[in-house]
Amino acid sequence: MKFIKLENNDELQANLFSFAIHLALFLVMIFSVGWQTKTPYYGEVELWDSVPVQKKINKTQATPKKKIKQKQNTKVQKSAEAKAKAKAQKEADIKLKKKKAAEKKAAEKKAKKLKKQKAIKELKKKVLKQEKIDKLKKEMLEKEKVERLQQQIIEQQKIEKMQAELRESELKQQKKPALEGEDEVKGGVNTGELNKYKLLIQQKIQQNVNQQLCGLDYITLEFRISLMPTGELLGQPKMTKSSKIKSCDDAVERAIIQSQPLPLPIDSGLFSKLKNLELKFHPNGVE
Amino acid sequence: MNKFLHIIFAGFLFFSSSVIHALEVIEILGGKASQIPIAVMPFKSFGAQKDIGKINSVIKGDLGRSGLFYPLDTRGVAASPNSDKEVNFSQWKSLEAQFLIIGRIDFVQKEKIKVSWSLIDIYKQQTILSGEYVGKNNQIRAIGHKVSDKVYERLTGSKGVFHTKIAFVEKYNNQKFKLNIADYDGYNITSLLDSKMPIISPRWSPDGKKIAYVSFEKEKPVIYIQEIATGKRKLLANFKGNNSAPAWSPDGKRLAIVLTYSTNSQIYLINTDGSDVKRLIRSRSITTEPSWSPDGKEIYYTSNQGGGPQIYKFNLESSEVSRVTFEGKYNLYPSLSYDGKLLLYLTQDQGKFKVALQNLQSNQVLKLTKGPLDEAPVFAPNGHMVLFVYKNYGKTTKIGTVSINGLKIDPLPLGSRQVQEPAWGPIKN
Repeated sequence: MKFIKLENNDELQANLFSFAIHLALFLVMIFSVGWQTKTPYYGEVELWDSVPVQKKINKTQATPKKKIKQKQNTKVQKSAEAKAKAKAQKEADIKLKKKKAAEKKAAEKKAKKLKKQKAIKELKKKVLKQEKIDKLKKEMLEKEKVERLQQQIIEQQKIEKMQAELRESELKQQKKPALEGEDEVKGGVNTGELNKYKLLIQQKIQQNVNQQLCGLDYITLEFRISLMPTGELLGQPKMTKSSKIKSCDDAVERAIIQSQPLPLPIDSGLFSKLKNLELKFHPNGVE
Repeated sequence: MNKFLHIIFAGFLFFSSSVIHALEVIEILGGKASQIPIAVMPFKSFGAQKDIGKINSVIKGDLGRSGLFYPLDTRGVAASPNSDKEVNFSQWKSLEAQFLIIGRIDFVQKEKIKVSWSLIDIYKQQTILSGEYVGKNNQIRAIGHKVSDKVYERLTGSKGVFHTKIAFVEKYNNQKFKLNIADYDGYNITSLLDSKMPIISPRWSPDGKKIAYVSFEKEKPVIYIQEIATGKRKLLANFKGNNSAPAWSPDGKRLAIVLTYSTNSQIYLINTDGSDVKRLIRSRSITTEPSWSPDGKEIYYTSNQGGGPQIYKFNLESSEVSRVTFEGKYNLYPSLSYDGKLLLYLTQDQGKFKVALQNLQSNQVLKLTKGPLDEAPVFAPNGHMVLFVYKNYGKTTKIGTVSINGLKIDPLPLGSRQVQEPAWGPIKN
C-alpha cells in the first residue's frame, strides 16, 4: 500500500483544518441533542359503542373477597346487560328501520299525491290556456270584424265630411262674388270645384276595385255611367272597352255599383258636367 | 238621295262625337287586394242525412283558403232561399255579401244524390251561375270541391284547384316512410309506397298519372317513376353518385335531374324511359333544384356560382345563363307559376326561412310567410295558392297552404303526422 506523499505545506494545513471542523461538529451533535433515557409514557384506550351504565357499589360493605365476587357478578351482569342492550338495540334498529320504511312509504305516497295534484293542476292550466287562446282568437276575429267595419265607417264619414265641406264652400262661393285669381270659371262652371268632385269620385270607386281579379298585365277598361243628382246610378254601368279578362270586367263593374252613392255637387251647373261620366280603369297601373 | 243620307250621317257622327268629347273622363289607377265577401248557405237536403247538407262548409273552406274570398258567418240568418226570387237582397247587402251560394240535395236512387246549386250576384240581383252534380253519398266532399271550382272560375277567371290531389311523405315509427296521396285539403289519404328508407322530392307528371321521387332504398339516392293507378314503378336513374331532384318537363317526355356523376351536383336531362342522358350546364359550381318554365324553354335552378345560393335560369335554346334573384343573400328552391309570370322560392330573411314570391315582370318580391323554418314551397296548378312545409323551433312539422296575396295561411288537418316534401298534382280535365 502506497500513500501519496504530501508535497505541499498548504495541503497539510487544509487537512488539519478540515479535521478540526469535523471534530467540532461531532462535539456539537453530542451535547446539543437530548438523548432519551426514560421510557415514554403510554396510555391504553378502549373503544365502546356506547357508554356502559355504572352500577353504584357500596364501598363500606365491600370486602376484598366480596369485591372479587362482586367483580365477577358485575362481569356477568355486564355481559347480560350488554346482551339485553344489544337485543334492545336490535329491536330499536328494527323499529327504526320499520319507522323509516313507513316514513319513506308515506313520503312516496305524498310525492305521488303531489305529482298527481300537479298533473291535474297543469291539465287545468292547459285547458284554461286553451280556453284563453280560443277566447282570444274569438275576440281577435270579432275585433278584426269590428275594425273593418269601423274603418269603413271612418272612410265613409271622411267622404261625407269632404262632401259637406265642398257643398258648404260651394254655397259660400255662390253667395260671394268671384274674386280675381280664384278658380277659373269656364262656361259658367268652376273647374277647381269640378276637379275636386272628380277626385272624390275617383277615390271612392278606386277603393272598391279588387285588382287581384285582373291578372298582372297592364290592362285598361272603360265604362260609361249616368248619375242621378243623389249620386245613385241611372241604369247599369256600360262597358265600352273590355280588359278581355271576364273576372276583371266584372270586378270593376261591381266596384262602380258598390260605390253608390257617388259624391256630387248641389250646383246644377256642376252636376250637369258630372252626370255622365267616362271612367278609365288601369287596375295594374300604367307602363 | 244617297248624298242627302251621307250628309245626315256625317252630321250625326259630328254631333255624337261632340257629345262624347263633352263627357268628363275620370282615370282610376290601381285598386285594392281585398277579399270578396261571400255567403254560403247550408244546402237543403230532401230525404238525405242531416249532416250531408254541411257541404256548404266544404265550399266555405275551399273559397276561404284561396285568400280571394271572405266567407261570411251566416249563423242566425233566416232560412236559406230556394232561388234568387226569394232572396232579400237588402238584407244580404247589409251583411256586406257580394255573392250568395244556395243549393239543395235530393236522393235520386239508393245511395245516389243530386246536388243542385246557384251562385247569386247580390249587386246585380240575379243568378249568374248554377249547376247540378249527381254522385254517391260518400262523394259529398268531392261534389263540394267541384261546386267551389265552378264558383271560383266564374268569379276569378282562373280554374279552381279544389278538386286536385297532393302528395307528401310521412315519416312514421321513427324510421319508416310512406309516400301518401290526399285531396288538396288533406282529406282521403291513401298510401302509394311504404319504405324503410327515406323518400324525398315527389313530383307529379303533367298528366297526373305518375309520380317521380327519390328513394334511398339502394343505400344511396336513386330516382323512380311510379304509376299511381297500378302502383307499377321503374328505376329511372341509378348512376354513379347521387341521383336526385327530378323535375318533369311540361310535355311530360323528359325530366331534369341532378347527378353527382362526374363532379359535384349538376343538372342533367333524361328521357322518361331512361335514355338520352345529357349534362345541361357545364359549371364548376353546384347547380341543383331544377324547375321548368311552363313553355319548356328555360330551366330555373339554384346555384352557388356567385357565392351564396341564388336562383338562375338557363335558356335551352341559347344556352344563356342569367341570374334571377337579387334580393337577399340566400334564395333557393325555385318553382314557376303555370303562366310563368311568378317565381316562388325560399328565402332567408333576418335569419328566418320564408316563402317568397317574385313578379318576374316587375321583379317585386313579396314574402308570403313569416318563417322561421319554412320549407319546400310549391305552386298550386292555378298559381293562386302555395303548398309548403312550416315548423316552429322544436315543434311538429306541418303542411299548409298560403294564398299568393299572403292573406290566408291554413294548415292541412293531418293531425300529429310527421309530414314533409309536399307536391301538388295537376288539374284534371
